[in-house]
Amino acid sequence: MGNFEVINSRASRIDSPAKATGSALYVDDIKMPGMLYGAMLQSPVAHARIKSIDVSAAARLPGVKAVVTAKEAGLVKFGVSPARYDETLFCHDKVRHHGDNVAAVAAVDLETAMHALSLIQVDYEELPVLITIEEATAEGAPLVHDGYPRNICAEIHQEFGNVKEAFKECDLIKTTTFVNKRQDAAFIEPQGCIAHFDIFGNLTLYSSTQSVHYVQRTVAMVLGLPIGKVRVVKPYVGAGFGPKAAANHLEPAACLLSMKTGKPVKMNFEREQVFMHSRGRHQFFHKFTTGVKKDGTIMGLDHECYLNGGAYTSFGIGTVYYAGSLLGGPYKLRNMKYDGYRVYTNLPACGAQRGHGGVAARAGWEQQLDMIAEELGMDPFDLRQKNMLVAGDVTCNGLKISSFGMPECLEAVRSGSDWKSKKGKLPRGKGIGMACGFFESGAGYPSYPSDTYHDTVLVKLAEDGGSALVLSASAEIGQGSDTALAMIVAEGLGIPLEMVRVQSGDTDFGVDLGAHSSRQTLMTGHAAKEAAEDARRQVIEVLSEELKTSAQDMDIKNGVVKFKMEKPDFTPLRTRYIKEHRGWLDNPATDDELSFREASRIAFLSRGTIVGKGKYKPPVPGGSSKGATVGTSPAYGCSAQVVELSVDEETGKITIEQMTDAHDCGLAINRTSVEAQMQGSFSMGLGEALFEEVKFDSKGRLINGDLAEYKIPSCLDMPKIKSIIVESNEPNGPYGAKEVGEGAIMPTIPAILNAVYDAVGVRIYELPMTPERICTAIKEYKEKRIDAEYEDQSKRNRAGSSIRLYD
Amino acid sequence: MLLPKFDFDEPATVSEACEILAEFGAKAKVIAGGTDLTVNMKKKLLSPERLVSIARVPELQRVDASSTMLKLGPCVTIANIAESGEIGKRWGAICAGAKALGSPLVRNRATVGGNLGSARPAGDMPPSLMAYGARVVLTKKSGQRVVFLDNFFRGPGLTEIAPEEIMTEIQVDAPPPHAGAGYINLGLRSSCDCNIVNVASYLVLEGPGGPIKEARIVMGCVGPTQRRAVSAEKALIGKKPCEALFTRAGEAAMTDSTPIDDFRGSAAYKKEMVKVLTRRTLAAAFEEALKS
Repeated sequence: MGNFEVINSRASRIDSPAKATGSALYVDDIKMPGMLYGAMLQSPVAHARIKSIDVSAAARLPGVKAVVTAKEAGLVKFGVSPARYDETLFCHDKVRHHGDNVAAVAAVDLETAMHALSLIQVDYEELPVLITIEEATAEGAPLVHDGYPRNICAEIHQEFGNVKEAFKECDLIKTTTFVNKRQDAAFIEPQGCIAHFDIFGNLTLYSSTQSVHYVQRTVAMVLGLPIGKVRVVKPYVGAGFGPKAAANHLEPAACLLSMKTGKPVKMNFEREQVFMHSRGRHQFFHKFTTGVKKDGTIMGLDHECYLNGGAYTSFGIGTVYYAGSLLGGPYKLRNMKYDGYRVYTNLPACGAQRGHGGVAARAGWEQQLDMIAEELGMDPFDLRQKNMLVAGDVTCNGLKISSFGMPECLEAVRSGSDWKSKKGKLPRGKGIGMACGFFESGAGYPSYPSDTYHDTVLVKLAEDGGSALVLSASAEIGQGSDTALAMIVAEGLGIPLEMVRVQSGDTDFGVDLGAHSSRQTLMTGHAAKEAAEDARRQVIEVLSEELKTSAQDMDIKNGVVKFKMEKPDFTPLRTRYIKEHRGWLDNPATDDELSFREASRIAFLSRGTIVGKGKYKPPVPGGSSKGATVGTSPAYGCSAQVVELSVDEETGKITIEQMTDAHDCGLAINRTSVEAQMQGSFSMGLGEALFEEVKFDSKGRLINGDLAEYKIPSCLDMPKIKSIIVESNEPNGPYGAKEVGEGAIMPTIPAILNAVYDAVGVRIYELPMTPERICTAIKEYKEKRIDAEYEDQSKRNRAGSSIRLYD
Repeated sequence: MLLPKFDFDEPATVSEACEILAEFGAKAKVIAGGTDLTVNMKKKLLSPERLVSIARVPELQRVDASSTMLKLGPCVTIANIAESGEIGKRWGAICAGAKALGSPLVRNRATVGGNLGSARPAGDMPPSLMAYGARVVLTKKSGQRVVFLDNFFRGPGLTEIAPEEIMTEIQVDAPPPHAGAGYINLGLRSSCDCNIVNVASYLVLEGPGGPIKEARIVMGCVGPTQRRAVSAEKALIGKKPCEALFTRAGEAAMTDSTPIDDFRGSAAYKKEMVKVLTRRTLAAAFEEALKS
């Protein structure tokens, strides 16, 4: 790895001062002259035919400026994937989940808007509510959407290699199941937006989003506007974790209300509405059958998965593919069969959340590998090391591994956690467990079929020469991408970080698919690097002309022009610069090196504004099978974690005590941000493992739609964390960088599962591991142990698992 | 979520507050920290026409720990109780309850009177206070009365406080020699949680090491109000304290509890936890009694 001036360091984030002082503006902080407040009318029932909607009383209420329903909005269908555009802005024939959108109101203040909502009369004819996969796929069940028999929204059948044949060579074949619960991303800022349709017919939408590009397309399509008339701007955003990567209904609704009234319209979701519309993690029902040889060689995986999708598809096509394809790594899996089903139900729609589609699959399978290791008498580390992919491998499902620091990750957590002296040696009630992770660095394809560049970046040098401005449509949502881009541009230009400013999150600045699938550091980073180098090239070209020195003999480092050969006489340039700056106190002294500031000013005087352009489109062909495009990526990150915990056997309460985590991010642009992603991922994984579950009553109505009853981890639930960065220098990444944002969550849940087993001998096949679930499992385990007193010790605790031995 | 419209009074004295309540009665609600009340108002579960804030009445914010008694004004914040050395020294289980409540932000606003007055079955302050035998003083324009916490809670959100009354003091006797108490709450996460079960126990021994002269065990989350584990208490009186006795008391407490299945947990699990927490709080109380 090279010698870097800016990147690979610990930079303070460029957005910290604004956030720390409260001057950072989020959507709800923004007010505009004449601004109206909008609110959505949402269905109180989970499944019903709409017989009539009467808005007349609401429209008559003083202060109400517009009321819109499907009649005004039209019935343009939209969604995430064009193959399943199954939503309209407002429901017209029926509502499909509790909270489905029926109408919207704009009024002079929120109180009036809320009052108006209560005056809208909707006549519902209730229909049977489908909550579970069994109910939805039952013979004769009503259809959530016409045209999808048995409510199967998407069905995937893939086989790479031949699993059946492979199993014939196996010494051990093991089947286990695993189920997680619907998880809400619980980002701290609910979705919100302000739409302003001006008198020239231009629409500007300020929105709390992860992707201004996808929102721009959706809004233009739904409202029938030319895309050039729609500008989407992202203010500061309080996180997203996936759900904000697609347009939400507030966005086109606020736009429509602004078009009707000619005034800016602000709309926000309340926390309960976030639960109804955030489209976070699905509930997955997995069944894994894995075959291994005695020496631990994994021969094949037969994998079946059902997803409870909720009422709309959202990201679901991607989710059901990812649930299968992401098990293609990090192990050499020679044969893999996958049957995935995503099922429509009358619950709010699920979508994408950190580790898209792969988190529950990883959890269930890594637990099974732990069981296999035990039955083979192998250390779990050794089983994994034996099967690990290496750089240059192509997985059986066509994923190309161009860098892979997995051995380093394993070694780092094995020694970092002192595994050897703890595994199998801790007292009962205390346990240690490990697991590995694997994730892409950005999706190979956009969510709609297109040859578009995924990212464009402009680097504009200030005409006075003193700074560089980065213009990008990428999305800083709290993860630190603006800082990473600034660092990449500073490195590429050869100037200090303080000289770089970033303007991002605006469709006026270009195309960027946004912050999702762990893509921005690698993909936007590529475009930023190219733009910076383009600007630098132009400055050096002008210098070359002015100083009659070859461009190859010049370099810019840390804001200073370096001459590799003899230093030319640049006094005339300096004289020109100083002449233009009479009275300035910071002009260069005679003996100073030639500065970037002087050089870029001279470049402007010669050529006008210097603008560097960068673009990126991943060079990924993808496999030949249907759906093989999901999971293809220019690079793959990998990780390993060790968790130490204690279990209170009487109450069932788990306390996570220590976590050791290693992640291969290729090259850390900002080391502090990489560690923060690792730790944040752990927190989210811990929550899904131990606490989180969105709950509904028997009629499909949300029970715990607030952050008091939906429990994400508190600071006090976080253990001591040792984060170890592994750098494998990814050839397809800018300066060698690849993902850390999502892959880091992968090993967390299974490491906890495996540590629980180590502590108290129970295997858990259903999340979350609440005290009650653990307590019950321990009780069953103890009862079984009494029953099986004379049985082989190794056969203990079979709940949810079965073994066939071929000997 | 928006707060509904309401009128707001901020009396400077108790008598002024009593005047206002005498006039408006059930149409008014007393507010102290507001951490519970304003949330319920936003959810439209409560819609008082008038809020009477007692947060600026100085005498309601006093902490007075004498050799015989602890007197708490209802507006003493949970944070103040959690951090109070003099309460912690003699009434440790009250501090334990305060420390378990909410988050630092909530503890800074929430008050002890509010936590009692909101009467949540899972509240963190009632079990310990009840275990120490606390009383509350209820004041109205025409007089005062003292009610034991045992007789104070009437159901979820319901108490003995009449519409025209204000809680003006909480009184807790100082534990005698050879006494101790313990409080344990079990939730999902380590803070900001609603308890699944919480239990406080209080023991007074005849002398160092026993036998047990007095016992009070209070269970939360396993009935419409906190309740005493009467048969468990009976099983303890006159006995020499030991682990086996505490286990038997825990089993007896299960029969005293009447939990329901809800989305926070099954009744069976809650009963089981009553057993565990009763035994553990008795052990903690005994340990403290040995030291005092």
